[in-house]
Amino acid sequence: MITYDAIVIGSGITGGWAAKELTEKGLRTLVIERGRNVVHRKDYITEHKPAWEMPLHNARLSVGTRGAEEYPVQARTNQFRESNKHFFVNDHKHPYIEEKPFTWIQGDQVGGKSLIWGRQVYRWSDLDFEANLRDGHGVDWPIRYADVAPWYSYVERFIGVSGEKLGLPHLPDGEFQPPMEMNAGEKLVKAGVEKAFPGRHVTIGRVAILTQPLHGRLPCHYCGPCERGCSTGSYFSSQASTLPAAQATGRLTIVPDSIVHSVLYDASKNRVTGVRVVDTNTKATREYYARVVFVCASALGTARILLNSTSARFPNGLANSSGVLGHYLMDHHFLVGARGRIDGLLDRYYQGNRPNGIYIPRFRNLGDDASRRDYVRGFGYQGGAGREGWGRGSSEAGLGVELKRRLQEPGGWSMGLTGFGECLPREDNYAALSDQTDEFGIPVLRIHCTWGDNELAMRTDMAASAAEMLQAAGVKDVRTYDAHREEGLGAEPGLGIHEMGTARMGRDPRTSVLSAHNQAHDVPNLFVTDGACMASSSCVNPSITYMALTARACEYAVGELKRGNL
Amino acid sequence: MNRDAISRRQALQQVALLLGGAISAPTLAGVLSADTRRAWATSPHWAPRTLDPAQLELVATVAEHIIPQTDTPGARAVGVHGFVDTLLTDHYPVTERDRFLAGLAGLDARAQSAHGRTFAQCAPGQRVALLTAMDAQAYGPSRGEDGWFFRRMKELTLVGYYTSEIGASRELRVNPMGTYLGDIPFPASGGREWS
Repeated sequence: MITYDAIVIGSGITGGWAAKELTEKGLRTLVIERGRNVVHRKDYITEHKPAWEMPLHNARLSVGTRGAEEYPVQARTNQFRESNKHFFVNDHKHPYIEEKPFTWIQGDQVGGKSLIWGRQVYRWSDLDFEANLRDGHGVDWPIRYADVAPWYSYVERFIGVSGEKLGLPHLPDGEFQPPMEMNAGEKLVKAGVEKAFPGRHVTIGRVAILTQPLHGRLPCHYCGPCERGCSTGSYFSSQASTLPAAQATGRLTIVPDSIVHSVLYDASKNRVTGVRVVDTNTKATREYYARVVFVCASALGTARILLNSTSARFPNGLANSSGVLGHYLMDHHFLVGARGRIDGLLDRYYQGNRPNGIYIPRFRNLGDDASRRDYVRGFGYQGGAGREGWGRGSSEAGLGVELKRRLQEPGGWSMGLTGFGECLPREDNYAALSDQTDEFGIPVLRIHCTWGDNELAMRTDMAASAAEMLQAAGVKDVRTYDAHREEGLGAEPGLGIHEMGTARMGRDPRTSVLSAHNQAHDVPNLFVTDGACMASSSCVNPSITYMALTARACEYAVGELKRGNL
Repeated sequence: MNRDAISRRQALQQVALLLGGAISAPTLAGVLSADTRRAWATSPHWAPRTLDPAQLELVATVAEHIIPQTDTPGARAVGVHGFVDTLLTDHYPVTERDRFLAGLAGLDARAQSAHGRTFAQCAPGQRVALLTAMDAQAYGPSRGEDGWFFRRMKELTLVGYYTSEIGASRELRVNPMGTYLGDIPFPASGGREWS
């Protein structure tokens, strides 16, 4: 019998954090990862590889094209390319059922999606933690900003975040390294927007990318495509940051190629005792045991494991006495906004590939006169300006020497804004087990999720407000866009890759799965710290909140363990 | 005939035989240029897998008209035609590949109706006139199938050329790694666009 102090399911953004915290606090910890091992540096096989060394010159592998045959879902995200397809799951190996269009983007390796994430990090505020209580959607969070603020600082100091302090109560500042610079087009739009709309801000994105050395990691060298992996560890990933720290304690064991079938439960003690895994290569079943289990398998992966962990005590899934497990699935709705042309500035340019854009913090429904009656909550914008490249040649007439000469110099400037909107927690957005099983004998999820009236009303404003700001800043030929197609693909739930909320925190065990410390109400030594724990979605990118909650939960869990309460 | 068995050298020989005297002086210069030899030499066992030798030559010729050799090599020299064959074989859905091949045939049909000969057989001036007309159609109000093909051909040429080593680093400039400078005077990049 193999016994550890702690088992962590998943090695992505939260699994890596749990591994670091638990091992540093003295626990012999086993991290179980469904996917293959990916070794820092060695396995970044396309890093710095120029396009001409790739057969398709780094083509975007869209749905239906050759090269994407095994990835009919993953290919829906614009991130999916020839150069990084090896960091996405093979959809045929890990299927699910879409009762409504829902794009589930998954990593399938040690490091999970931390290798390919967007790296934008924004703190929540009490505007977010109090939202459910104020407008009655969802259940009240059992925590407030003050509970998490020190943990945000703790995480930021370890992972490294560059950004600009703004002093906004609804988007709290963090422990920032120096911000990246804006380009001339962005500076022009910033000046125009902030003049026309007092109280609104255009700032450089706050990113988990170093601009100064930190803990042996080097500042960004601006090669551009972070999602191929970074040998200098300049962006936060499990490989670059948390797993080495955990490894250094000598108390970490990682088992890749092992998919968790279920969590083992002992009803006589009301404790989880370990996990049952299936070896993805041999299909053999193994069990591992521990005193505490952290489930960090991603919002939907976690829901699947817990739903499949049934017993006489929990016939509908482990720690699911409330019946809400799998429900209140959320994502951020996006791919709506505006873009246009900036005239002039033809004597300005930039150098280096900045893996970051600009950010416009939420300005709606802050309780002032910019508040709306047609929807609740709010949205922020990500975006950026740039000069057009050679690609413009294919949308303009002309050929031959004249065309070649014209494309030698960069084209004009353009600026785009894409909204990221908050999604309300709704019971009828859910993931449940289907009758179908995968090749490992585990039931696959069926997912039912749609945008509601609130999200759709917000989208109208997201497009209009983007256009209004660009026009006020003097941007020409401004056009709005909205990729959402009713019942179709375009901006369907899941595509934001911020899926969350399937095992929510709450004050009442009858309506929530987790306590204020991410501890299952029903089972004291079971913790869930990934996106599943979220009781609402805010409109800001969620990963840093998951990290902070994970670190916080680890301290609580180890304390409880030492006090003999687990 | 097993296309996979044809080496790059054989393909070149076939193209040369096929075209005979019809090959224009600048194009011939392109075929025999050092850059071309270097590009082809990098993978001596290369052979087209979708395009037949005549189609391959047609793609190379049209691509060279879109991005010709100037003080830097043009589309032919960097092997845009090889890139197009790879995309058609390994990336394009079958329907789109067939549509592109039909477009190539359409170009010859257009040459036949205008000049009574295939595009490859046309005089250089006739080729330029044909492609200029197609370009105008492609960006005009009634695009049609020829317009679709020409836009796609142009897009493939630009992608193939500017993501090639020569296109990216000799015609344009590779954006250097190191520091990020967000707001600098334009000529600081050497007066060229970052590829």
